[in-house]
Amino acid sequence: MNPVFMAQWMKDKRKPYLVLLFIGLSIIATLIFGNVDSMGRTTVPVFSSETGDVKVEEKWVQLLNNHDSFEFVVMDEEKAREQVKEGKSDVALRVMENDYRLVTASEMPIVHLIEQHVLQVFTEEAHLAAVAGDIDTIDLRNEVEEYMDSPPIKVQTQSLNGGDISNYDMGMQLLFAFTLFVAMFTIGFKVNGITADKVSGVWNRLILSPVSKTKMYVGHLLYSFCVGFIQISLVFLIFNYIIGYDLGNLAMILTIAAFFALSMVSVAMLITGVVKTPEQFYMVYPSIIPIIPVVSGVYMLPGTITSPILQFIGDIFPLSHGVEAMIDVALFNAGWNDILLPIAFMMLIGVLAMGIGINMVERRK
Amino acid sequence: MLETVKLSKTFKEKKAVEEIELYLHAGESVGLLGPNGAGKSTTISMISSLMKPTSGDVKLDGKSIIKNPSEIRKVLGVVPQEIALYEELSAYENLKFFGKIYHVAKEVLENRIQEVLEMVGLKDRQKELVKTFSGGMKRRVNIAAALLHKPKILILDEPTVGIDPQSRNHILETVRKLNEMHGTTILYTSHYMKEVEQLCNRVYIMDHGRVVASGTKTELLSILSTEDTIQIQLSKKSDSLLNTIKAIEHVRRVDETTQGIRIISKKGSNILSDLVHAAEKEGIQIIHFQMEVPSLEDVFLHLTGKTLRD
Ligand SMILES: Nc1ncnc2c1ncn2[C@@H]1O[C@H](COP(=O)(O)OP(=O)(O)O)[C@@H](O)[C@H]1O
Ligand SMILES: [Mg+2]
Repeated sequence: MNPVFMAQWMKDKRKPYLVLLFIGLSIIATLIFGNVDSMGRTTVPVFSSETGDVKVEEKWVQLLNNHDSFEFVVMDEEKAREQVKEGKSDVALRVMENDYRLVTASEMPIVHLIEQHVLQVFTEEAHLAAVAGDIDTIDLRNEVEEYMDSPPIKVQTQSLNGGDISNYDMGMQLLFAFTLFVAMFTIGFKVNGITADKVSGVWNRLILSPVSKTKMYVGHLLYSFCVGFIQISLVFLIFNYIIGYDLGNLAMILTIAAFFALSMVSVAMLITGVVKTPEQFYMVYPSIIPIIPVVSGVYMLPGTITSPILQFIGDIFPLSHGVEAMIDVALFNAGWNDILLPIAFMMLIGVLAMGIGINMVERRK
Repeated sequence: MLETVKLSKTFKEKKAVEEIELYLHAGESVGLLGPNGAGKSTTISMISSLMKPTSGDVKLDGKSIIKNPSEIRKVLGVVPQEIALYEELSAYENLKFFGKIYHVAKEVLENRIQEVLEMVGLKDRQKELVKTFSGGMKRRVNIAAALLHKPKILILDEPTVGIDPQSRNHILETVRKLNEMHGTTILYTSHYMKEVEQLCNRVYIMDHGRVVASGTKTELLSILSTEDTIQIQLSKKSDSLLNTIKAIEHVRRVDETTQGIRIISKKGSNILSDLVHAAEKEGIQIIHFQMEVPSLEDVFLHLTGKTLRD
């Protein structure tokens, strides 16, 4: 076994707290923020601006209440606002004849989900209203529904493998997002061991020894990879077998996790090439990493981020590709062929970042 | 065995080492002495192949090591100025790690670890983590880690900086034994004159990146053979007296020291009566008068105009 690898393991064996803490963190974060389905239906208070406009309220509540996870309940305005203020509800909805406003104080992913649902219902209704002209939309709706039961052309939506599209499971996406996000920290802190060795002088001792440079890097990087990969795998196994999420094809999920860990090791190596001391790394790395999931959009529903610039920046990092591939496997039964592209992206990022990173570290001397 | 030829290193504008010429014969113990920033560590880095020289060469048995550093790495043990150890591991684990790194054969590694631990006197504390050690103990492990592969040449970069006298003596003793009993060639860097006097056959004195003098202790002291060093203590401080003394014939240098005034004058020039005269004129008494036997410290002062400790 590579002695550099073993030495890193010996160091951590005495103090496994960081990895254990991060595993715990991934689980807790997923349970707290990803409870979209598992915690039952979320209640959303609904009120109208003109007090007592019962007709408007009822019309919308009826239309809105076709979702499994949300329950829209009419309330008076004061009470609804109080619920939001006290945090009993994440969001309240104010409806008008043809428009709505969300009242919220939170950035929780569930708010985005509700917003999306409400938007969809209102847009659909607006379309119908435009077509119907003066006729009551309810009649039109019934007509359309009848018509759709026997349409002249039938368009069928299918998931990748031909099954029905299931409801989008935001909880699952957040599980992947949080777990990979937290693992980025673990991996970075381990890769930082190279800088630590350089500063302490251990690296010079290694250079003077018969051990090759390749072995020195491999020892450190392989170790960082293993710790990151094991952390991700443990969280997924816990969710799959203990908490009761169905991650689908585990072998594929873990393969994606491995490629993600690999390319993240490279990204950390690239950042190592920029900093001079381990302390600088501890400052720079944690200020860059939290931006990645935000621009990658992994906390939001797919398609939420539309700015091509942000999308491009998100695509530079492995996170978006990793989460995307995992979702395809877990929710849409993707096969090996379907995840080849995201894996190829992660590999590409990995090779480039590693090449540049090692070059910069070597040139520094 | 080992020599440098016009070895130079320039960092950007800064000339850290300039045309250094050193040589080490097999079995010798050589000191490299100089104040902080003199360029000792830079010189060592180049000799040990960790740093490429800007110009000049390092030769091992007549062959340049710059292109092919593997030869020197085989025979060299380097004790760096910093504690290059994993502090989260025990002394034993560190040595085991470096032993494997240095390809010490499995069958002999265990014995060898115990041998070097014995040498630096840490056998009974090998299970403890390095980070719990005192500065002196860390330095001893730092040395032990460089001995595992039985290097023919051992280079130590200020191995006794800032440690307790007990650890220091232990280290000096270890180095002396390595040289005398095991025939290890030693290059010992320090800014403590006493250590180098005690330990080394020959000394190079460095300042501002250059070798300003070299030789055995007697050779270096002979630099001062044309001078007397006189130490006097006065009843009162006086700048005008200082100037009067400077003006006395044959006086070459006058420095204020913590004990009073140090005067360097031409050998045999009896300036005592002139001194007494000058002091009397100012109404100052000479409380204490002493002719000093010159030390290497004085040689250094003579060559560089400063003491080693600044
Ligand atoms: N990597 C470096 N970059 C720039 N200047 C350096 C570097 N290393 C050393 N120096 C400078 O070179 C000079 C000699 O340093 P050094 O060899 O460490 O001296 P010593 O070991 O005798 O204290 C110092 O002035 C130091 O500031
Ligand atoms: Mg130094």
